[in-house]
Amino acid sequence: MNFETVVFYVLSAILVLAGLRVITAKNPVHAALFLVLAFFTSAGLWLLMQAEFLAITLVLVYVGAVMVLFLFVVMMLDVNFEQLREGFWRNLPMAGTVALIMVGEMALILMSPEAKLGSYHAAAPLAADASNVKELGRQLYTTYLLPFELASVVLLVGMVAAIALTMRKRKDNKTVNPGLQVKVRRNDRVRIVKMDAEKPAKPETGDAAEQQA
Amino acid sequence: MNWADLNLLPASTELFMLTAILLILLVDMCLSDAKRGITYGLTLLTLAICAVVQVSTYTPYPVYAFSNMFVADPMGGMVKLAMYATTFAVLVYSRQYMTERGIFSGEYLALSLFALLGMNIMVSATHFLSLYIGLELLSLSLYALIALQRDSVQATEAAMKYFVLGALASGLLLYGISMVYGATGTLFLADVAKAIAGGSANHVLLVFGLVFIVSGLAFKLGAVPFHMWVPDVYQGSSTALAMMIGAAPKLAAFVFVLRILVQGLGALVADWQGMLVILAVLSMAIGNITAIAQTNIKRMLAYSTISHMGFLLLGLIAGTPEGYSAAMFYTIVYVLMSLVGFGILLAVSRAGFECEKLEDLRGLNQRNSWYAFLMLLAMFSMAGIPPLVGFYAKLAVIKSVVDIGLVWLAVVSVVMSLIGAFYYLRVVKYMYFDDKQDNSPIVVRADMKLVLSVNAVALLVLGMLPERLLMLCVEAMKQSLNAL
Amino acid sequence: MMSLYLLIALSPLVGSIIAGLFGWAIGRRAAHVVTILGVAVSAALSLKMLHAFLTGQAEVFNAPVYTWLTVGGYEFSVGFLVDSLTAIMLVVVTSVSLMVHIYTIGYMQEDPGYQRFFSYISLFTFSMLMLVMSNNFIQLFFGWEAVGLVSYLLIGFWFKRPTATFANLKAFLVNRVGDFGFLLGIGLVLAYFGGSLNYADVFAAAPALASKTIQIFPGVEWSLLTVTCILLFVGAMGKSAQFPLHVWLPDSMEGPTPISALIHAATMVTAGIFMVSRMSPLFEMSDTALNVILVAGAITALFMGFLGVVQNDIKRVVAYSTLSQLGYMTVALGASAYSVAMFHVMTHAFFKALLFLAAGSVIIGMHHDQDMRNMGGLRKYMPITWITSLVGSLALIGTPFFSGFYSKDSIIEAVSTSHLPAAGFAQFALLAGVFVTAFYSFRMYFLVFHGKERWMENHDSHHAHDEDHEDEEVTADHHHGLSPDETPHESPWVVTLPLVLLAIPSVLVGWFAIKPLIYGGFFKDSIHIDAVRHPGMTELAEEFHGPLAMVTHSLTTLPLWLAIAGVVTAWVFYMKAPQIPAKIKSTFAPVNTLLEKKYYLDEIYFAVFAKGSRALGTLFWKVGDMLLIDGLIVNGTAKLVGAFSGVVRKLQTGFIYSYATTMIVGVLALVTIWFAQLILR
Repeated sequence: MNFETVVFYVLSAILVLAGLRVITAKNPVHAALFLVLAFFTSAGLWLLMQAEFLAITLVLVYVGAVMVLFLFVVMMLDVNFEQLREGFWRNLPMAGTVALIMVGEMALILMSPEAKLGSYHAAAPLAADASNVKELGRQLYTTYLLPFELASVVLLVGMVAAIALTMRKRKDNKTVNPGLQVKVRRNDRVRIVKMDAEKPAKPETGDAAEQQA
Repeated sequence: MNWADLNLLPASTELFMLTAILLILLVDMCLSDAKRGITYGLTLLTLAICAVVQVSTYTPYPVYAFSNMFVADPMGGMVKLAMYATTFAVLVYSRQYMTERGIFSGEYLALSLFALLGMNIMVSATHFLSLYIGLELLSLSLYALIALQRDSVQATEAAMKYFVLGALASGLLLYGISMVYGATGTLFLADVAKAIAGGSANHVLLVFGLVFIVSGLAFKLGAVPFHMWVPDVYQGSSTALAMMIGAAPKLAAFVFVLRILVQGLGALVADWQGMLVILAVLSMAIGNITAIAQTNIKRMLAYSTISHMGFLLLGLIAGTPEGYSAAMFYTIVYVLMSLVGFGILLAVSRAGFECEKLEDLRGLNQRNSWYAFLMLLAMFSMAGIPPLVGFYAKLAVIKSVVDIGLVWLAVVSVVMSLIGAFYYLRVVKYMYFDDKQDNSPIVVRADMKLVLSVNAVALLVLGMLPERLLMLCVEAMKQSLNAL
Repeated sequence: MMSLYLLIALSPLVGSIIAGLFGWAIGRRAAHVVTILGVAVSAALSLKMLHAFLTGQAEVFNAPVYTWLTVGGYEFSVGFLVDSLTAIMLVVVTSVSLMVHIYTIGYMQEDPGYQRFFSYISLFTFSMLMLVMSNNFIQLFFGWEAVGLVSYLLIGFWFKRPTATFANLKAFLVNRVGDFGFLLGIGLVLAYFGGSLNYADVFAAAPALASKTIQIFPGVEWSLLTVTCILLFVGAMGKSAQFPLHVWLPDSMEGPTPISALIHAATMVTAGIFMVSRMSPLFEMSDTALNVILVAGAITALFMGFLGVVQNDIKRVVAYSTLSQLGYMTVALGASAYSVAMFHVMTHAFFKALLFLAAGSVIIGMHHDQDMRNMGGLRKYMPITWITSLVGSLALIGTPFFSGFYSKDSIIEAVSTSHLPAAGFAQFALLAGVFVTAFYSFRMYFLVFHGKERWMENHDSHHAHDEDHEDEEVTADHHHGLSPDETPHESPWVVTLPLVLLAIPSVLVGWFAIKPLIYGGFFKDSIHIDAVRHPGMTELAEEFHGPLAMVTHSLTTLPLWLAIAGVVTAWVFYMKAPQIPAKIKSTFAPVNTLLEKKYYLDEIYFAVFAKGSRALGTLFWKVGDMLLIDGLIVNGTAKLVGAFSGVVRKLQTGFIYSYATTMIVGVLALVTIWFAQLILR
């Protein structure tokens, strides 16, 4: 067992445990933090496979952006997580059994001699000057041009959907249009009316009204 | 890599569609709600132009684009045309309904086109990755479309369920795909097929992946036991959306299944045949029997969809070109029927009133005999009563399983369609033999009236002259399956 | 050519659709104009085509028009086979139909269902054309059912009359029996004759099957061809009203008279004759089937004639005479004289349509009173109707030089040359039939057109409904007979014009057509006769020396004298000494009752089939329905479905996690099933 293998197993163990904690942690902030841990360890696994660019992107995008956003949401919104977790223990036996059977069966199948997992070997190590980024770029803009472009369309759909779901006119929406605010002139808001002076109202009427009330 | 590799011409429809969607989004931004009709007109125009471009770039053999990531073949072309027509009808039917509910927005139209673009990609992809992204494009648009009706708790719930379960199904599908990649070392369907045929692939891994892939596909089709989302989503989302989900996406899902199972994993036919048999029998049984117990007509139509998907699977089970073309015929026919069914529900609904219960159709004949007649055509066709086209569709798929010797399966499907006839005829009974309880007039825009009538009468006309469409399906299938 | 044939078939359909769907919008006048135009186009083109066939310019046309459906290797298509046989039927159908269309303008003038009626008769014409132009069994069957359908619709046209709906139902049920046989026959053809339903393929496959046998009951071998032919003939028996499936035809007179003329005399009922002629290559190979045909035809020809003698309803007399004449045609088929049968179909179509339309004209004149006992002396009031009726009757009884003479005599000659065992009986029946035909035809003629004007004396009697009479009950919008001080008037020109136009071929067509049609090899492409086994037609051809010689020859043979005897007897009975019939009636009371009760066939059918099946039905209802189906299957199923749905509903909780669990369990189940071997090891 060489060093890389040891690192692999350590990272994998942490990854699985972190994943488990994500769904079992009571505190949602803890769960989110365990997710960050899981991302870190998977980035480590990618590094082991010499996919540096992907590993760094994972950390930058998911840990740096997505998870921070997640934490914000979790901390800012008043979500009753206790309520969400209701029934967890009631359903655990069933879910656990199914999961165990699933894992057991998958293990039996994939580890059976017929699966011939032993015939798979690690890819040959890349040359020292091989550029991960360059190769990825080449692939993305040649063979994988269509999926790449489509991914951008998917993002666009996400944007359109998010805007459509949040930015519609609502009765309780109190946003103001700064453009209009700047444009406003005194004449738009204040009207000066010339009128003759009036005598103050007679006090009796007020009394009468009070009496009636 | 050069322009010749890219060869964009076969994908010109998709490129045009994307450009048009962006334009529509921009134009819509400048329009007030009162002028939404312009966006609507532009959307329909886009669909019409797409159809024209599709026809003019037709080739009787498959051609590839985007470095072999994209294929335009007769089968895809035909299904795409059907999808344009379907989307066109969906938009025409839903305009009044959506307007009355204040959700007839530019985003609704744009997202519908995005969904269509996703379907086009699903139909034309030759690579697991582009297949998957097409699927996600479609799904994401649909989730958003359902959720657009933000004021409705039910719609939000439906969107949520659809989203979560859809994500799970995508997960299953991706896991299966990864297994296939592990076994064959490629994600191109053609190369996967070659690797399996060459015997170099790891069979256990392949079949293990196949189980997950079939599960994911079954979810998209809505086959039992991956059907649970269908009734809830149909019921929860607005009728117009339920119609949209049940129409064009089924066409795309059919080709999607065909590309993966037949063109990619065709050599594993012995394995997926058995899985599909289980799914088909369960779908026909649970779909038809449960539909009987429904009082909500949208739910009933949802279970009816499930049972129709079971019938569609029969054609695929056969594993023969005849079976595939029968399944294609079935899908097209199913979409036509379902459009009419939902179209009538939309016509009967009005501002402040949703036609959702079976009772809401009571005495429809007295209220408007023409719509009652159209609904009757749809119901009879779904029940498979000759001379409506539903009969030939059922006949074709059942015949294809008889041809491969699965007579028991044919018998089961016939029994199930008999059980199914009960609840379709019950709708007819409500319409014709019960007295009306609702006297409000049925007001429908002229364009919808025209399209709906043509759509329903087509069921009758195709039923009397099914040969042409059947031959088209057979030809398209023959030209497309030989290659790749 | 294809477009020409399509035009012939489709133009009546177009008329029918316009009149039927848009009749309310375009009004009465436009409805009849458009339908008549459609049929007139067909008729003109058919005549042109017949001319082409007669002069030998036309070729047999056999091609598919549209492939309708391909199922399991069987192709069902619409196709046209146009040969001389088709051509002659086309002319008969379209020309009679045209006459009837014109006539209807006058006859249905006051009926509220005017446009509907025109739509129906044009639809009928279309169906009939599709039937005769078909080149395969499936289209034949469709046409067969379509004409049947229109016929039912038209019998029940006055659906407010209970008798009409009863007759309608009866026609429907009896025809079902025939159709059942027909369908079985077609099934056998499909199963054994090379898997094709095209005539040409089937006929080509037939010779190889000459000695093939099939087992219907274990241990009994039947010749395949015989079984097939007899089953097909059962279909013909239903449609062409042959004994014992004839009972629907007299009742069908409940329909409006133009219908009786078009459908129940001239065209639809001859579909059976046409079909057997078309299948001549099959029937020629089975002597047994030909014998069956001979017997059925002979019984019909004679015994239905007897019934005509005792009828008092003018339309029923003509109806029974139609039955009897159909019997003649059937006998001709049995004697392998298909061309003679077709010849008689043609002549009969003209003179029987004429007789029906004349009867209709009389009925109009009598203000919808159909009882002959209230008529008499009408010749003074309705001269054109009188003359044309006389022409029709003379043609019917086979007066020399009239068309009926040539066709009927040819049939009798053909039977006498047949060597089949049943031919002797058939010949006797036909000869006796000649006398009976002459008798009842002239009985009707004398009762209606000669003698005293009886409606003036015993007008009341026709209000006292006796049994024959009850079907005369008409809806309120119809007049109810003439009152004693009224006189009938000649009908309008739209009614008399068709009479005159039909009278012309009734006289002439026999003289001109017999030579080319029967002896000129006109049908050589469409009718196949096994001249070795059935040499009748060849012998007949040797004896034929032209239409004039046939007349001189007839002076020395029995039929002519029998006919004359019949006429004379009728004259004596109904003009000279009207007391004789009454006397005979009382002397032979049982015979009279037997005849008036139509041999009790209706009663027997009713008792055996209707009651029997009702009893059987009750049994099944009690045991099958109540116990098994209601108790076990329906209620059981309902309970099962209920329980099942309950379970499913429990699963369908509405919670995402339970749905997700179901999906995972589904995947797990599939994995377990497919890898059971690996896992369990």
